[in-house]
Amino acid sequence: MQNRQWQSSLSFKALIVLALTAMLLAACAPIAPADDGGMAAMDEKVTITWAMWGSPAEVATHQSVADAFMEENSDIAIEILAEPWGDYFTKIQTLWASGDSSVVPDVLFLSPIVNYASEGVLENLDPWIEASGYDVDDYWPSLLQYGMYEGSVYGLPRDIGLEVLYYNIDIFDEVGVPYPDDTWTWDDLKAVSELLTVVEDSGRVSRYALGMEGGKWLLWVMQKGGMALDDMRNPSRCALADPEAVEAVQFFRDMIDSNYFMPPANMSQAGGDAAVFQSGQVAMIIQNASRVSAFNSAGMNYDVSVIPIPADGQRASAAGGAAWVMSSLSDNKEEAWEFLSWLQSTDGGQRIYTASGEILPALQSTAKSDAFLNSGQPPTNRQAFITEGENARMGRIGYFVEYSEINGSFVNPGRDQILIGEVSVADGLNAICEQVDAFLADNGFPK
Amino acid sequence: MTAQTAPAPQHIAVSRWRRYRPDQQWEAYLFLLPSFIGFLVFVAIPVVASLALSFYDWNLLSPPEFVGFENYSQLLTNDRVFRKVLFNTFYFIVTIVPLQLAFGLLLAVALNQGLRGLEIYRLIYFMPVVTTIVAAALVFQWFFNRDFGILAAAIWEFGATTGLPIQPPDWLNDPDWAKPAVVILTLWKNSGFTMVIYLAALQGVPAELYDAAKVDGASGWQRFRFVTFPMVSPTTFFLMVIQMIGAFQLFSEAFVMTQGGPAQATLTIVYYIYQMAFEFQRMGRGAAVAWVLFIFIFIFTLVQTRLQRRWVHYETGGES
Repeated sequence: MQNRQWQSSLSFKALIVLALTAMLLAACAPIAPADDGGMAAMDEKVTITWAMWGSPAEVATHQSVADAFMEENSDIAIEILAEPWGDYFTKIQTLWASGDSSVVPDVLFLSPIVNYASEGVLENLDPWIEASGYDVDDYWPSLLQYGMYEGSVYGLPRDIGLEVLYYNIDIFDEVGVPYPDDTWTWDDLKAVSELLTVVEDSGRVSRYALGMEGGKWLLWVMQKGGMALDDMRNPSRCALADPEAVEAVQFFRDMIDSNYFMPPANMSQAGGDAAVFQSGQVAMIIQNASRVSAFNSAGMNYDVSVIPIPADGQRASAAGGAAWVMSSLSDNKEEAWEFLSWLQSTDGGQRIYTASGEILPALQSTAKSDAFLNSGQPPTNRQAFITEGENARMGRIGYFVEYSEINGSFVNPGRDQILIGEVSVADGLNAICEQVDAFLADNGFPK
Repeated sequence: MTAQTAPAPQHIAVSRWRRYRPDQQWEAYLFLLPSFIGFLVFVAIPVVASLALSFYDWNLLSPPEFVGFENYSQLLTNDRVFRKVLFNTFYFIVTIVPLQLAFGLLLAVALNQGLRGLEIYRLIYFMPVVTTIVAAALVFQWFFNRDFGILAAAIWEFGATTGLPIQPPDWLNDPDWAKPAVVILTLWKNSGFTMVIYLAALQGVPAELYDAAKVDGASGWQRFRFVTFPMVSPTTFFLMVIQMIGAFQLFSEAFVMTQGGPAQATLTIVYYIYQMAFEFQRMGRGAAVAWVLFIFIFIFTLVQTRLQRRWVHYETGGES
């Protein structure tokens, strides 16, 4: 009797072990291809998996791009893998961590490129560009830098995230000030801002002249000729305490103190730049082309202009944008390149994306075509995008892996303190640089 | 069948499977198996993995590299942000925990006065507890906004009508005010929970104790201090431990309402784990922060359990 019980409890343990082992095996076993019938079929189609983030509306645009490609290329099937922005990067990294080429997408949307290229998970596109004669000169100057790592191209930027100045025509007319144009300097901006701002007797600001996301603040520094770091690829020191940077930030801190410029944190809590611009709480915003479709569907009376620059300064819109890349694990690189190069051509994907009104195309030929310049939609002054594009600069972000930590841990919090008025501009920028320099030294920069 | 043979047929009649044998419980384990596997796969293994991970440098893409205790030593020696994060977290613990207990007890005592419509009030105060934190935080974000928020609008209006130079604080953009803003949101959200638990405890206090105290001439405050307070002290202890662990793990409130800002004023330990692991792709460092957090919570809970003997009163049993 005792013995029987013992046996039975042993067999229970064995049962558990068996069950667990079975589960583990099931979890680890590679998923067999659902259908091997393709081997027998005569016209075997190659399937390219194409991954991106996006809202449902954006994914619909991506789908129409895939459909257009498949219509032209009947031997390639495109399968879309779309995830919301928040989950996308973790998902992709996890797929890559599995090392299984059958689950990693062949063509992906990524940013920033350098973080991935440095890990060897991206295909070096140089040989493909050379073999196919793909025209890289059609990209906006310095935009392609965004997709490069150690001198080679790893990603083809889809669009250029350069900023322009949006202004509310109704408010300008109501106040009776001239519209912004190419000749405006920061002084003009300040003078007009004084007229556009409305402060109530209580001291409450019911309309700010200007709004801009805090994350774009390096625009001012670069317009004045400064930089965040001495070298955005391999820095040896922080350059934010240099005189150009201090002067530039001081100008906008004064704009905030005078109530002309809506404090960025305040703006994001009020719903972001698009919300405050549409509601008329802000008369002008500095933002990229991504707002155009929203303002158009809201039926706003607005136009765009180039961004005013300091009298001794330069245009410095950001040359950067998320890029299409090819996974180095891809089993179908030929087809992946065929799709990638079609995607980034004026006759292919670029035209469709541009027509959707969501982007400013990465290719100059697309931007200067009727698809962009004469789309029949507001804003009227689309030339502003072209002017900023021809003068766009790289350097708004660092092209090395640790930059996201430098930015997130030191630069952004320090910027907050300065713009809130917790510290003086010079002290705040010095404090940022002290921390960044210490971080650079700890992490062995310059490398 | 005759009486003599009765015992044997009983054995035969009841099938082997149905017979209850107290020392054979594998059926029970079988029923536990699904939840056990779930616990193993989603809790136990990841916990062990995160401990191992904290000794590695890993960005998800390249193979993990063993670095020994470097993640920990970096945190403790030259991570300035981590120091700020610790300070913030302790700020939240010493403000949120006592205030939450005080509010909860206050509300519970008020509701325990034999009020009509007790259920309605209980429902109203408990509603925030079941409200989605993201929705609540977004509403509070607008509520606190200096230019267009309702709280600020009231203060602007008050200043304008009275002519006094009063301006609303810039709650979410001023590092000195952002922390109180998070505290207020958390209190609003969680006080209903402490209230409900306290209410249950209060209703368990025997009425004869109050009667006896009254006979002895105890005032209202004395009855609270010497009868109510000791009688609910086990509840206070329970809530204190639970709320302290909750405050250690504060994340969603800061994540949605202030994004850890301004100037890292509301960056908490758990937020920092998230930042390290998923924004800066430093899985090992993030895991190390998580284990430091575990050690903190462990020590604090241990200390509280020790200290409870001095002030927690158990009516029956006596031993803790």
